[in-house]
Amino acid sequence: MEVEAWESSSDGTADSEVDLQDIEDDEHLCMSGSIPKLQFRKDVSKARWDVEMGMAEVIEKKGGMWTTTGIVRRSKVYCSIEETLFLAERGALILFDINDMVLSLKDMYEMVAEGRSGCSWDSFEAYRHLKSLGYIIGRHGVNWSVKNDKICSSSTCIGGTEESSRISSTEMKEDFSITNHLGDMQINEKPAFDVYLPNSKFRKSSPGEPNFMVYLTRDNPPSKAEIESLERSCKGVPLKFCHVEHGRGYKNLHPVRTMRSPPRRLRHPGLTDRS
Amino acid sequence: MGPRWKGKNSEAIALADPMSKITARLQSSLIQSETEGFLSGCVVLLSVEPEQIDLLNRACFGRPIITTDKDKQWFQISLEEAFYLCHSLKCLKILDENKCAKNGNELWECMKSKKKTFPEFYVAYSNLKKKNWVVRSGSQYGVDFVAYRHHPSLVHSEYAVLVRSECDGDYDKNFRLRVWSDFQCTVRLCGSVAKTLLVLNINTNGCNEVSLSHLDHCSVEERTITRWSPEQCREDLTLVKGGISYI
Repeated sequence: MEVEAWESSSDGTADSEVDLQDIEDDEHLCMSGSIPKLQFRKDVSKARWDVEMGMAEVIEKKGGMWTTTGIVRRSKVYCSIEETLFLAERGALILFDINDMVLSLKDMYEMVAEGRSGCSWDSFEAYRHLKSLGYIIGRHGVNWSVKNDKICSSSTCIGGTEESSRISSTEMKEDFSITNHLGDMQINEKPAFDVYLPNSKFRKSSPGEPNFMVYLTRDNPPSKAEIESLERSCKGVPLKFCHVEHGRGYKNLHPVRTMRSPPRRLRHPGLTDRS
Repeated sequence: MGPRWKGKNSEAIALADPMSKITARLQSSLIQSETEGFLSGCVVLLSVEPEQIDLLNRACFGRPIITTDKDKQWFQISLEEAFYLCHSLKCLKILDENKCAKNGNELWECMKSKKKTFPEFYVAYSNLKKKNWVVRSGSQYGVDFVAYRHHPSLVHSEYAVLVRSECDGDYDKNFRLRVWSDFQCTVRLCGSVAKTLLVLNINTNGCNEVSLSHLDHCSVEERTITRWSPEQCREDLTLVKGGISYI
């Protein structure tokens, strides 16, 4: 120890050599003044919350975000709680309950707290951070759209409507079970989100392979065995570990910590810089 | 290393408006409006009145959630902050998922179940808060907390804080400073951002664990850790009291 220290201190990099001018990474909190508010939107969409599904059915679409928000089932668009709350926080969506009463942000925050819609506060923060940077995010394993959907619901489908609604409700149930499953497990054995890079050509009908998957960690970093098992389940899609840290100032908010997956699997090396 | 104020008048502004008074104003305001927060995962969410937005910002609790909502301002606060406001300052009620107010013990157990290190972190946090330090997350520097002499807009944080507990033999949930490489790494980083490493050892004094009923039995031992460089200290006879230097 002593020998090492003698050597290291002779290289001129003593701890006291600090350029204080460079240290600008403290929190930049304002002591007074108002908190910035997001601008009101002109285009406000509407959706109705379905308690049983744990999703919102979009009843009026306004604005361009719908190409990358919500899943399509039988020509209808359904939003998860994180998508719903994200838009509601931005004033881009009004959410109604089944009796057409407006649900407030408080109602939605409580829905997240109750944890019945497969989304924890941590996963919402992860979603919000990436979404506000333009990434395209879906729940892991939930398809953006279903292929047979359109054919069955179209008028050319003989003897169709009843049959197709039965099929689609079964199919929809499978989706819920995935989301409920996620909720019960605290998103611990599967990635939470499939993420695509910002892309104006994104189509729900052919999203392609996600660019990476996001896995939410809890108290401690994952063990070697956990990483290996997760990597196997990701089938070659890069995996990023997200550790949501609470209590940072809002201006320097970096809740997403990413950990590189082994380079050989990394298809988009540039991505690892974003943390 | 003394405080590094940001700007010329910052020290005077801070002296004129001590943190203890700001916290007291926040406390009485929250009591008056019977503020409630609710648990969501590892945070507590609360919506507050306009005057409390200012007080929460000044006292540096939590962070605001930015929305378009003009009527209400939402804040999210950490478990330690929430428990401190609830239990120590007694100015915040915390509801569980079923909208029932939780009493002290229930809340303690609940927070412990959400965050294993909560008991030790809370003791460390409240120890610094009671001395009027502004305490924020240390995640940017790889430590548990950072401590500011006053509001972060006026002064840089002085201490990078690590929490260690020695209860139950040598068991420490935080796994920090076990090997020399971790010492070197942490001290080097703290030095390069002009902070002093402060280790808070939580002693349970005979109890098996840090529990709410025995909080008063817990003691906190504060130690600063610095690197002592023989080349530069040949004429320096002062050694930091309570500090540990390593060569």
